[in-house]
Amino acid sequence: MISKILMFPAFVAALVLGSVPASAQDKYPSKRLDWTISFGPGGGNDIMSRNLISILEKYKLYPGTIVAENRPGGSGAKGWGYVFSQTGNPYHISSTSGSFITTPLQANTPWQPASFTPVALLASDDMLLLVSKDSKIRTLQEFIAAAKAKPPAIGGIGAVNIDFIVPKLLSEKAGFTFNYVSFNKQGELITALLSNALDAGMSNPGEVMGLLQSGDMRALAFSGKSTPKALGNVPTFAELGYEMGVSLPRGLVLPPGVPKEAQQWWIETVKKVVQTPEWKEYIDKQLLTENVLYGEDFRTFLNKTQGAFADILRKSGAIK
Amino acid sequence: MEVLNHLLLGLSVALTPINLAYLFAGVMIGMIVGIIPGFGPAAGIAILLPITFGMEPTGAVIMLAAIYYGSMYGGTITSILLNTPGESSTVASTFDGYPLAQQGRAGPALVMQAVASFVGGTIGVILITVLAPLFSQVTRSFGPPEFFLLVMMGLATLIVMIGGNWRYGLISALIGFALGTVGVDLETGQTRFTFKSAEMIGGIDFIPIAIGVFGLGELYYALYVGLHLKGSGGIVRYDKEQRFWPTARDFIETKFSLVRGSLLGFAIGVIPGAGATVASLMAYSVEKSASPTPEKFGKGAMAGLVGPEAANNAASSGAMVPLLTLGIPGSASTAVLLAAFVLWGLTPGPLLMAQKPEFAWGLIASMYLGNVALLALNIFAIPLFVLMIKLPYRILAPAVILVCTIGTYSVSGSIVETWLMFAAGLVGFFMRLYGFSPAALVLALVLGPLAEQSLRQTLTISGGSFGIFVDRPMSLSILIFTAAIVGGGLLMRRAGRGFKPQ
Repeated sequence: MISKILMFPAFVAALVLGSVPASAQDKYPSKRLDWTISFGPGGGNDIMSRNLISILEKYKLYPGTIVAENRPGGSGAKGWGYVFSQTGNPYHISSTSGSFITTPLQANTPWQPASFTPVALLASDDMLLLVSKDSKIRTLQEFIAAAKAKPPAIGGIGAVNIDFIVPKLLSEKAGFTFNYVSFNKQGELITALLSNALDAGMSNPGEVMGLLQSGDMRALAFSGKSTPKALGNVPTFAELGYEMGVSLPRGLVLPPGVPKEAQQWWIETVKKVVQTPEWKEYIDKQLLTENVLYGEDFRTFLNKTQGAFADILRKSGAIK
Repeated sequence: MEVLNHLLLGLSVALTPINLAYLFAGVMIGMIVGIIPGFGPAAGIAILLPITFGMEPTGAVIMLAAIYYGSMYGGTITSILLNTPGESSTVASTFDGYPLAQQGRAGPALVMQAVASFVGGTIGVILITVLAPLFSQVTRSFGPPEFFLLVMMGLATLIVMIGGNWRYGLISALIGFALGTVGVDLETGQTRFTFKSAEMIGGIDFIPIAIGVFGLGELYYALYVGLHLKGSGGIVRYDKEQRFWPTARDFIETKFSLVRGSLLGFAIGVIPGAGATVASLMAYSVEKSASPTPEKFGKGAMAGLVGPEAANNAASSGAMVPLLTLGIPGSASTAVLLAAFVLWGLTPGPLLMAQKPEFAWGLIASMYLGNVALLALNIFAIPLFVLMIKLPYRILAPAVILVCTIGTYSVSGSIVETWLMFAAGLVGFFMRLYGFSPAALVLALVLGPLAEQSLRQTLTISGGSFGIFVDRPMSLSILIFTAAIVGGGLLMRRAGRGFKPQ
């Protein structure tokens, strides 16, 4: 509230003089924030952005107005392309998701994930390896043993996606081969698994929670750093000796070339956001893995993840 | 009697004033969303999603679901009046709906589609109420092999549709299949014909193509024949003598079509994937085969409108079965609903109906009321739509172009898709001029990629063996069922030939 009152004279001055006095301009942030959501309403990226904005507003962490805008199209290329075009402008921000890594691998985007000014990685989307209740397999060890005897059919969403990367890494580490069956939509993948057409499937925990609770499916392992509470005692791949090190980044980025102070301001602000009960509740409800990295560490993470994706996808022939 | 108790519980929830208000808001929005070509239920639900955050989940789901099935009513209006299907599931409604309107029977066609939608929707809800657990078993047995066979049955209807002029029909379908190959190859992940453009990764969407080849194509054709120079009236006419109400004959002739379409629609709607589209197409070909006068189809047969309409509405009820009993989305719209469930703090899945009976049964009960409200709303609104077609064409035409452009742009905010729509309009104009089949093109565009994907998934699973189609009980049943229909049809035709002197 205080900051808003302090801003008021500056605002009037700006109206009268037609430009913001230098002293007010130096103090970041002092203007309206334009928040780009690169997907339509209702998706994971949209939900995270809207949660973040409501936390920023509730705790009055951002002094000005925040205007959220959905700029969907081209698997995120349009929205992030827009933010990229705002080079040097610290009053634009955007949330990232899996396509932030994969779209530039598939299309000629003018940007790469590392082109942006990284603020923070907040959480990651990680994958469960699932079997249907009719399967004889109960553990990852049994799965690997069965896979060595006969290559299993493993389903997932899309070929240029973490759904393919995780079982691929597992098969290389454990020494088996498998047939990857790619689906377009979650509904078709889940019914294929329930109908026992597939030997196993990959999914985010959030999308299959109900089927796990009812016992229609069993989770063998989780690809994240730690298993979300709601999943109970499902082990991680790492605990079983198969370190994955890839996950889809849900984080925040600013346009390229923004002032250091703006980046630092956002890092400090995000540190406050992740402490709020509202944020914890969001992570729990959506069954995300809390995975926080700031600034340059986030950029390194993006580079590493995209590198791992590109290597595997080049070998499989999905990309050149 | 457990079902009755559940339903009473549901009614007690749905009949509270606040939930009734949400229901009426939902059906109104659904109607409007359905009428605007391109702007479908998925977009309508997604846009309203943020305002439901603070709402009580039951009221919210009643409203959002009403948008979904309400849009099925509105969607057909443009199919009948403007030959412009707003969704792939209303393509089949243009085949006979538009000829009916051209013959001056726009009023009866609109009333009959509202009745068909009501019957389809209501039979659908009754089946959910009584048989949801049984039908969830159908969903559970549908893997890629079964899905492929189902899509093939949908594609077989192309043959019924193309009819006489098979060379032009085949060329139209091949153009559709070709457009369907654009995008990411699902299996290998390689991009096909995208020219490295991010806008093309997702492939060519149905909406801009359908609005272009149907709506704009028809409109350009009308301008070409000089309709805008006439004082009043459009391509579609409205006869004062024939009035607004359907005749008793319309009802008598189509009573079985209503029931057949509803049952077929529901059964196919419970299968995640192309539910409503495949259902409406199959209903159309079933009606044409069952009709004593198949030659009238495509020239304004009421059964050819009523069957698919009952089917696509019943399919939208059917799609609620996997959503409520398994937590599986069957379409873009139910996927947004599923996301909403999670946002409201529910866990969709097999336990949902037992854990939250007031939520699930409140929704089901509200669907009975919603369908009644939609029927009334339609009957009242139809005179307004009939007024619209009396507008001079030189005023109506630019308005239609405006609405089509906004509708297409709003789907994904893509200017590329908007240009694609105008290009498709030119193609549609020449198709109309030279007698090609826009319907074969758009259906091949929708079903072609589904057939390709499900066949490749099937063969990846089986290691290249076609034996998988007879190894799995469900796919074997579908094969036997199809063989019985085709065989029976051939036998009947042969017997018919024997008796009827040619």
